[in-house]
Amino acid sequence: MTFWTYRRRDNLVGYLFVAPALLGSLAFVLIPLALVGWYSLNEWNVLGGTFEFIGAENYERLLSDEKLRESLVATTWFAAGLVVLNLSLALLLAVLLNQKLRGTTVFRTLFFSPVLVSLVAWTLVWQLMLQPEGSVNGLLGVVGVDGPNWLRTESAAMVAVIVVQVIKNVGLNMVLFLAALQGVPAPLYEAAKIDGAGAWTRFRRITIPLISPTILLTSIITIVGSLQVFAQIAVLTQGGPGTSTTVLIYYLYQQAFQFHHFGYGATISVLLFVIVAALTLLQWRMRRKWVLHES
Amino acid sequence: MSRKVALYGLLCLLCVPFVFPTWWMVTSSMKPISEIFSESLLPSEWTFSTYSQVFRMQPFGQQYWNSLYIAVIVTAGTMVVAAMAGYAFARIRFPGQNVLFVVVLTGLLIPSEVTIVPLFQLFQSLGLTNTHWPLIIVPIFGAPCVLAIFIMRQFFVALPPELEEAARMDGLGRAGIFYRVALPLARPALGAVAIFTFLHSWNLYLEPIVYLSTPDMFTLPQALTQFVDIYGGPMWNVQLAAATMTAVPILVVFVLAQRQFIEGLAHTGVKG
Amino acid sequence: MSRLTALILAGLLALTACSGSSAQSGPKSLRMTVWTANEAHLKLLNEIASEYKASHPDVTEIKFDSIPADGYTTTLTTQIAGGNAPDLAWILEESAPDFVASGALAPIRGKVEKVDELVPSATKLWQKDGELYAYPFSTSPFGLFVNTSLVKDVPANWTWDQAIAAAAASGKGLVLPDFKYQNWAVLSAIWRGWGANAWSEDGRSCGFASAEMKDAMSFIHKAIFTDKAIPGPGTTVDFFAGNAAMAISQISRAGALKDAKFTWTLVPLPSGPKGDYAVIGQAGVGVMKRSKNAEAAADFLGFFTNEANSAKLAQFFPPVRSSLLNAETLAKSNPLIKPEQLQSVVVEGISKGVVKPSHQGQEELNQTIRAALDPLWKADADVDSVLDGVCAKIKPLLERK
Repeated sequence: MTFWTYRRRDNLVGYLFVAPALLGSLAFVLIPLALVGWYSLNEWNVLGGTFEFIGAENYERLLSDEKLRESLVATTWFAAGLVVLNLSLALLLAVLLNQKLRGTTVFRTLFFSPVLVSLVAWTLVWQLMLQPEGSVNGLLGVVGVDGPNWLRTESAAMVAVIVVQVIKNVGLNMVLFLAALQGVPAPLYEAAKIDGAGAWTRFRRITIPLISPTILLTSIITIVGSLQVFAQIAVLTQGGPGTSTTVLIYYLYQQAFQFHHFGYGATISVLLFVIVAALTLLQWRMRRKWVLHES
Repeated sequence: MSRKVALYGLLCLLCVPFVFPTWWMVTSSMKPISEIFSESLLPSEWTFSTYSQVFRMQPFGQQYWNSLYIAVIVTAGTMVVAAMAGYAFARIRFPGQNVLFVVVLTGLLIPSEVTIVPLFQLFQSLGLTNTHWPLIIVPIFGAPCVLAIFIMRQFFVALPPELEEAARMDGLGRAGIFYRVALPLARPALGAVAIFTFLHSWNLYLEPIVYLSTPDMFTLPQALTQFVDIYGGPMWNVQLAAATMTAVPILVVFVLAQRQFIEGLAHTGVKG
Repeated sequence: MSRLTALILAGLLALTACSGSSAQSGPKSLRMTVWTANEAHLKLLNEIASEYKASHPDVTEIKFDSIPADGYTTTLTTQIAGGNAPDLAWILEESAPDFVASGALAPIRGKVEKVDELVPSATKLWQKDGELYAYPFSTSPFGLFVNTSLVKDVPANWTWDQAIAAAAASGKGLVLPDFKYQNWAVLSAIWRGWGANAWSEDGRSCGFASAEMKDAMSFIHKAIFTDKAIPGPGTTVDFFAGNAAMAISQISRAGALKDAKFTWTLVPLPSGPKGDYAVIGQAGVGVMKRSKNAEAAADFLGFFTNEANSAKLAQFFPPVRSSLLNAETLAKSNPLIKPEQLQSVVVEGISKGVVKPSHQGQEELNQTIRAALDPLWKADADVDSVLDGVCAKIKPLLERK
């Protein structure tokens, strides 16, 4: 037996293969993250160039910060609305496109196309279209609906940022669902039909369980993504009206970059990271309860 | 029959919010500025002067090239890094594997706003600000690559072990198995990674603004914000013309290659 | 020093971030951040720069970095935080108190040519303890632009009531292009006529709940929602394209009327219950203290703002030098505006004007006030209680030191 057994060599190859990604994570993710953690223990005035250790003071401030509380409420609404609307619309579109119908490729392309438009261009266009005299209200007027002043009315602004974001990205989830649907064996449906199950029952009892792994994946990606939506808010509402659309990431940006409280901004970053990590962990834990075939 | 008609009707209706913004962007870029807020679907008079204005106001060709070459390098680099890491995490057993995987996955959870300041300090200390390096190496090795690694891992996990066994019998080493057997099979997943990565790089906004400071170095999303009049007010129609030029080529490529695109995408996470 | 600790913690070689202000000898290159990306502006800036380089061979490069106006201060701050501060920077008036008070800027009084001829009202914002920390290269009074194709009769001494009545009668209304129902500070161009202030002179107590402010804001609210003389929130009406009857805007905007297809005139802001007044907007240019070339940068700033160059810059940015601040000189670079208009709006405006409100921690105040004022922009708003609410929100911010 030589020293370089297959197993040893395998280990080495394994390490070599993950090395670039691992070193990258270390340099560009973990170390910066540790630095952010360190900043959160300091008061850092960027303009004055002062950097002062203050211990847990920033964390105490989190507890008494009323704006933070408002922001957490806005974040919850935004994330919940986004995830529910995104996933249900994606599933609806996927089911519609999974019918035996001519021209589904064309529709699939159309529904997917916003994914390809650059984010800045997309928000720019919507910003103009959502003006009170803009095309959105113009179109709504055609069907007799008197649209609100979207970006200036509290509830409407939240709806608007959610919808703009969903339309932009729902195509990705739609495609993933479509592939999952196509993987459901047709005989299952036939059998259920013979047993007298209606369309809804078939969907609930066969489709949903069989595509549950995809639902898990898309919901994780969508939730994590929903907490990172920044540019759209910055362009469309700047967190307003009032603080109704000031989601956590936007509040972080305000504190760190606009109000120059880098230390406190870092503290909010840490909070955001903890929330995202906890949510992801929770979903991962819960997957055994509802995802089929998860070991 | 009536069911089909209803289905088509529904699909057409649902299409409106997906198609209209792009339509509006393209047509409005050819409208005179005074018509941007009018309801008309088409310009009353077509003007293309906005397009020449785009090139006059900014080194737009250079900026286009910047975005394009950065996105291509990032895409190629990410495919290599992600395929290797994804394969190792899925198929090779080595001590500490799971811990390392979780470590890498952390990147998925961090918005770029969170780490931009420390990263900026790093590149500043290396003298690499106002170069394209940060826009290339961070995406390839850092957080944006993690989703790609995840996709590749999920794909390789589902690969039947028999294929590798056979290759090993034939005397192929790990690297050989990876390169000759696994990678060719992974084409659809690689396609998905390529699309995700390209779009991510193409759309990057915050990072270029922070790292780049001269117009010759700018990327497209950043350039879009530069079309302003003498008082800093945005020139909507010129911006829309520039936006159209950034979006339409990608849309055309997509329509031409859409089967490969979507099928590639569809192969990710199916077995999630 | 603790930034050094932070970097060591990271295991990084801190090469530049901490090297501070050790002066560099030999060839120097200077970088100035600006928020204009306009060709004509940059051309002029580069001309001035080349002239300077010709006489100063040790300065090899002077670069103007255009950062989008939207988020300008943010990007600038990020660069400073990352250790890449520019040598010189344009500074928005609203960030002036923060920059001046923080000690981020180097003193420049000694470098400015004929510093005594700078108009006092214009330098107030940029001074601390008698020292000057930035040069107000653009000082632009607000005036009332009137589309005379729509409004025929424009007396030079309008009152606000008359002006709003005329705007309503024209059917096209009066716009405040920079306001957008967000940049509330622009409204000071109206409420100063009522003697209202955002906060007291020392910046410690809130002025939004004062009787003057409530009267002024009630007037504005009525003009928007009852008289329909000011377009409501979210509507985009462009005066410069001929779609509005009047605009309250800074004088430096007059250039946008070069190709106007309508006739127009410029008059001083109408008088309010408290009589005549003027409001100005400003921008300064300062030298970053941490720049390695702070000395050379300050020297260039002196050249950039000397009498000759100020005269050149005057075509875009109204000057603050009393020698240039007369109708004849201004007329040379502002052919669109008649000398008597320049006299009444610009010359008198700059010398007697009050700068738009600004305060230390301005951005946080800005956002808080914007959010607290949002409920006001509805037809059925209760003006008094909204304004009381503004004070309740910003009181802790004003009292913080």
